Amino acid sequence: MLPKFSHVRPDSLRKALSFLDENEARIHGGGTDLIGCLRDRIFTTETVVSLSAINELRGIEPTADGGLRLGATATIAEIAENPTVVAGYGALADAAGVVASPQLRNQGTIAGNLCQKPRCWYYRGDFNCLRKGGEICYAYEGENQQHCIFGGDTCFIVHPSDTAPALAAHGAVCRVSSPSASRSVAVEALHVPPSVDPRRETVLEDDEIITEILIPKPPAGLRASYRKVRDRASWDFALAGVALALVFDGDTVASARVFLSGAAPVPWRAVGVEKAIIGTELDNATIDAAALATVDGAEPLAKNGYKIELFKGLMTEQLEAIRS
Amino acid sequence: MAKKKQHTPKPGSGVTRRGFLGSVGAGAAAVATGVTSRSEAVPEITDPEEMVQTALKINGRLHRLLVEPRWTLLFVLRERLGITGTKAACERGECGSCTVLIDDRPRYACLTLALEAEGSEITTIEGLLEGEELGEVQQAFVEHDAFQCGYCTPGQIVAAEGLLRTNPAPTENEILHGMSGNLCRCGAYQHIVNAVTHAGENRKDGGGS
Amino acid sequence: MSDEHAYHIDGAVPETPENDPDSGAWRKTVVVGTRQPKIDAYERVSGTAVYPHDVSLPDMLHGAILRCPHAHARILSIDTTEAEKMPGVEAVITSKSPGADIPWYERGGQFYGKLFDDHCRHEGEEVAAVAAETPLQAVDAIRAIKVEYEVLPFVVDDDKALLPDAPAVQEGGNMMGEPSVRERGDLAAGFAAADVIVESTYSTSCQIHAPLEPHGSVAKWDGNKLTVWDTTQGVFGVQQTMAKVFGLPISSVRVIGHYMGGGFGAKLETGKYTVMAAIMSRMAARPVKLFLPREDCFTVTGNRPGNTMTVKIGAKSDGTLTAIDYHSHGSAGAYRYGAGTSAQAAYLYTCPNMRTEDVSVYTHTGKARPMRAPGFPQCSWSLEQTMDELAAKLGMDPVEFRLQNLLTELQRGDGMPFTSNQLAACLTEGAKAFGWEEAKKAEKQQGHLRRGVGAAASFWAYPGGPPSTVVVKLFADGSANLNMGASDIGTGTKTWAAMIVAEELGVPVEKILVEHADTATTQYATASGGSKTVPSDSPAVRAAAMDVKQQLLGFAAEQLETTPGDLKLENLEIVSRTDPEKNLALGEVERLNRRGLLMGTGYRDPNPEDKVTFPFAAQFCEVEVNTRTGEIRILRFLGAHDSGRVLNRLTFDNQVFGGMAMGIGLGVTEERVLDRSQTGKMVNANFHDYKIPTILDVADTHVCHPIDQPDNEFNNTGTKGLGEPATIPTAAAIGNAVADALGTHAVNAPLTPEKILEVLRTQEMEA
Repeated sequence: MLPKFSHVRPDSLRKALSFLDENEARIHGGGTDLIGCLRDRIFTTETVVSLSAINELRGIEPTADGGLRLGATATIAEIAENPTVVAGYGALADAAGVVASPQLRNQGTIAGNLCQKPRCWYYRGDFNCLRKGGEICYAYEGENQQHCIFGGDTCFIVHPSDTAPALAAHGAVCRVSSPSASRSVAVEALHVPPSVDPRRETVLEDDEIITEILIPKPPAGLRASYRKVRDRASWDFALAGVALALVFDGDTVASARVFLSGAAPVPWRAVGVEKAIIGTELDNATIDAAALATVDGAEPLAKNGYKIELFKGLMTEQLEAIRS
Repeated sequence: MAKKKQHTPKPGSGVTRRGFLGSVGAGAAAVATGVTSRSEAVPEITDPEEMVQTALKINGRLHRLLVEPRWTLLFVLRERLGITGTKAACERGECGSCTVLIDDRPRYACLTLALEAEGSEITTIEGLLEGEELGEVQQAFVEHDAFQCGYCTPGQIVAAEGLLRTNPAPTENEILHGMSGNLCRCGAYQHIVNAVTHAGENRKDGGGS
Repeated sequence: MSDEHAYHIDGAVPETPENDPDSGAWRKTVVVGTRQPKIDAYERVSGTAVYPHDVSLPDMLHGAILRCPHAHARILSIDTTEAEKMPGVEAVITSKSPGADIPWYERGGQFYGKLFDDHCRHEGEEVAAVAAETPLQAVDAIRAIKVEYEVLPFVVDDDKALLPDAPAVQEGGNMMGEPSVRERGDLAAGFAAADVIVESTYSTSCQIHAPLEPHGSVAKWDGNKLTVWDTTQGVFGVQQTMAKVFGLPISSVRVIGHYMGGGFGAKLETGKYTVMAAIMSRMAARPVKLFLPREDCFTVTGNRPGNTMTVKIGAKSDGTLTAIDYHSHGSAGAYRYGAGTSAQAAYLYTCPNMRTEDVSVYTHTGKARPMRAPGFPQCSWSLEQTMDELAAKLGMDPVEFRLQNLLTELQRGDGMPFTSNQLAACLTEGAKAFGWEEAKKAEKQQGHLRRGVGAAASFWAYPGGPPSTVVVKLFADGSANLNMGASDIGTGTKTWAAMIVAEELGVPVEKILVEHADTATTQYATASGGSKTVPSDSPAVRAAAMDVKQQLLGFAAEQLETTPGDLKLENLEIVSRTDPEKNLALGEVERLNRRGLLMGTGYRDPNPEDKVTFPFAAQFCEVEVNTRTGEIRILRFLGAHDSGRVLNRLTFDNQVFGGMAMGIGLGVTEERVLDRSQTGKMVNANFHDYKIPTILDVADTHVCHPIDQPDNEFNNTGTKGLGEPATIPTAAAIGNAVADALGTHAVNAPLTPEKILEVLRTQEMEA
């Protein structure tokens, strides 16, 4: 049962921003994450500001420079089904297609997916954990089989988004507006690691809204993919996920952007993998080295050591698949 | 943040939760934005303590009613309108029993605020009946015994209907993925696949609406 | 078998009269055995079926329960003042409220807990309840109740519960009674005689029933009469409990459960919530609806205990078993209820020397309830995988090895014969239909994917039996009502019952209306659970229809001036066997017309003495394991089932596939996760983190292969149960298939990527 709140559904971005400016408010994109958080009393809010009636935040269309604009409230399903996305942005198409469940993909928005709260069961459950204002991260000494192997610091969540690592791999940028200004934030730089602040997930201020996400034109020779491994074949978050955006020059990897999900409190850039594969033809020895590089520096917890093998295996599988 | 919001009582509304429930007293007036004009008018913040006027188009019929902002579409369907074909099982978007079509797309009614469904076509399991006759997906579920206890079934059928509206000729793989947002604890999945496949073939052949 | 039958509700039941002995087995059937869609399908697919959760009564209040958030705590104080003043609140109850201080958790006439206990022994124990005008107000109100707890040390790990310094869950220590032991022969001699011995330890995780309809009730008083709408597997058990609790004559309590959204054993016992709804309803003098939120259903409405099982089996080099030593350990939670698993270890295979031991311990966790074949799937998981290990050591085919050692009688005392036993047919015919030989020979490796096949055999030990009373009412227009008390929990009870009436009387299935699961209007039946509804109630249905037929032929004989024995009923027409000129359409039977209807009563005869009846099953599956990621894909499943006669092939198949789905959950995806070291609380009490299989997690294809041999010695329909057998061998078959793929058994269910990678890593280190 939901706690009480007030609700407003403005029809323009300007109006929406004005409500954020004046109120203790939470943004409602598709509502899938917000309603869940409110039900679990992770937070309460005075006002729910819905973006669902704002036309200017919708849509998926090409940009003048050959890239793609995703409106903030474009649904995950719209993105997964969009022919331009499917043709040009393989990692995003793959990722959008495996988010949650069909119904949630019909409702959830791309900006909401980037900004969703962690799925850590202590955070979502009846535990006053560090991220919710408590003293400790329960996962550190508790049931941490799903938790992070990189970047834990004080809070050992994994970032739950599938689309974030994919968009980061594609080099996407969020356009962000507040009542007073606009700015751009790369998806790669959107999320806040616990070492900076364990109580916030994104760099967005409370009065800021993601208005659109811009993805650059796919470079010639781009091959991109996303795959996640999960305990259940649908409706489950990644135990491990790999987003690849590799630009090939012939058989040679000319450039690479590689991001992991299920690995860290933020979408995790696998720089070591990128280094290992750039300039190669992804021969077996390279892939072995890249697999090792995937988990280089990982610090598994008591119950998630299997993620080491899992990430190595998944990276190997995905690099082999993209090579052929 | 945390600036206090200001409420301006609107003349002519004057409906409160207590009033609605027939209890004594009349509290502060609620906001009554026009039902059909909500998205065009200057929006107003509702008051969490007050009932808000809304209108929901469910199975082709417009229901004008008063809701608390926190009421979900599922709550309104079941508890306020007595449309109980849509089932409540988890009320946290994790099982699919409350699946309804919103503008032809399957969604979870438990994660949809009633106020967010305003202006949309809402279709529930009851809306798939043609008079007293079963719709084709419903009929296929009967013939293929695609359920056991039947509690998840309205959600399954509505999800299948939504799938077929978007994709009238789904492959088996598309059916599996399309139906993967609905749990069936009785495990009637094999028969659900059979039923949806059959319903899809019927629709493709022009056997259905 | 266990002395305490999980499915036996509320003590003694009256003996029932015997039926007419002239009830020979069906030789040929025209309706029974066909594929009949459910007769209540319209209601269930149209949304018109009113489940208890859909019930809305005039002036109804909504209830909510406040629960203890700690694994172990003592309530120091409860302050409900603020909650009582909240808008819409009409009743608040705690342990101090009149009528609410009552004992609870009955087992064998003794009580082991209270409705509200100030000593909270697991997360979710009931602390207070509220009834208010709306569900939201009720929840708002329970959140306003202030409770002061003394948080106490807890133990939630089965294996830590018996340590000397473990916090006590119940007085007298954490061992739940003495270990339960079965013995046969000389175990040491048996192992001494063995050429090959295998010993392994396997474990399963705690599984939650998780029916889609949440647990709950609606209670309404009319003076001293109480009506309850309950989502239950048995209305009569709830009736008896409520009558006892409120000191009412049984006749004054009406329990209605026409539709119910799944139970799997969790809805066999009366819920505390039902009593609380009734107490608050009486207090407020208004109906009260109280349904649990999903999170509570995970913590307080029962589970299948997780078990750790050590199995040691010895065999001669020719494959003959010489000894089985089986030890099982598990926790059924904080209140008395067994966690035993061993029945199949004791009896599935012919073996002269055997010992089984079941240890149940108390932990600070929610009480278990019978869950679809309590104990059996866990035993299969360990026993059947150990059998495969042994077969591998012996160099034998696992199916052949089983066939060589199958039970032929129940090895208890001097041995008891079975009324029917088609287990060998399940294995041989199942293997053939599955293509076992070919699959065993097929190439396993495809890149980093490896395929494997596995099989498991099983029995289920609860046959069903009396009492059951059924009434059939035949109208002169050739339509009929069937009146029976059993709940249709989704298995198609109403449908096969109508099919039996159709078979006997010739009334078309669509002209039969079934009245059921209402204590005020239908006949006594035991709860629907334990795969016993078909074998218990179908004979009574047939007997009732035959009673109608005999009366009808009697009437017609008078009218046609012949004997009833000369007449037969065919297509609702009565015809003389000797003189076809002598015939009457149903509507022409004068006495039937005068009466308006003909009522027949049927009873369930006792089971045969000195024989036992088990349903048997063998299941086969093929899996594909991704050796890079540890993912398992289940390619196909086949179930070969000896459940006696198949009444309705359509619902039979569905039941088999459904059992497989639940077994796939146990084997691959489902696991209750407790915060073991810090709080003892469940961290995955929701459908997202507790992972019931989706349509993508079950097998790509499912095949049902019924053996369909009527057990006419057991009852007059030749039927045995199916619901439990369908899920018993499933997880074990997956375990064996995974082992076939990998060469090593992954011993701890569920087989998530984590467990598979663990096996692969161990293999790599050993290599």
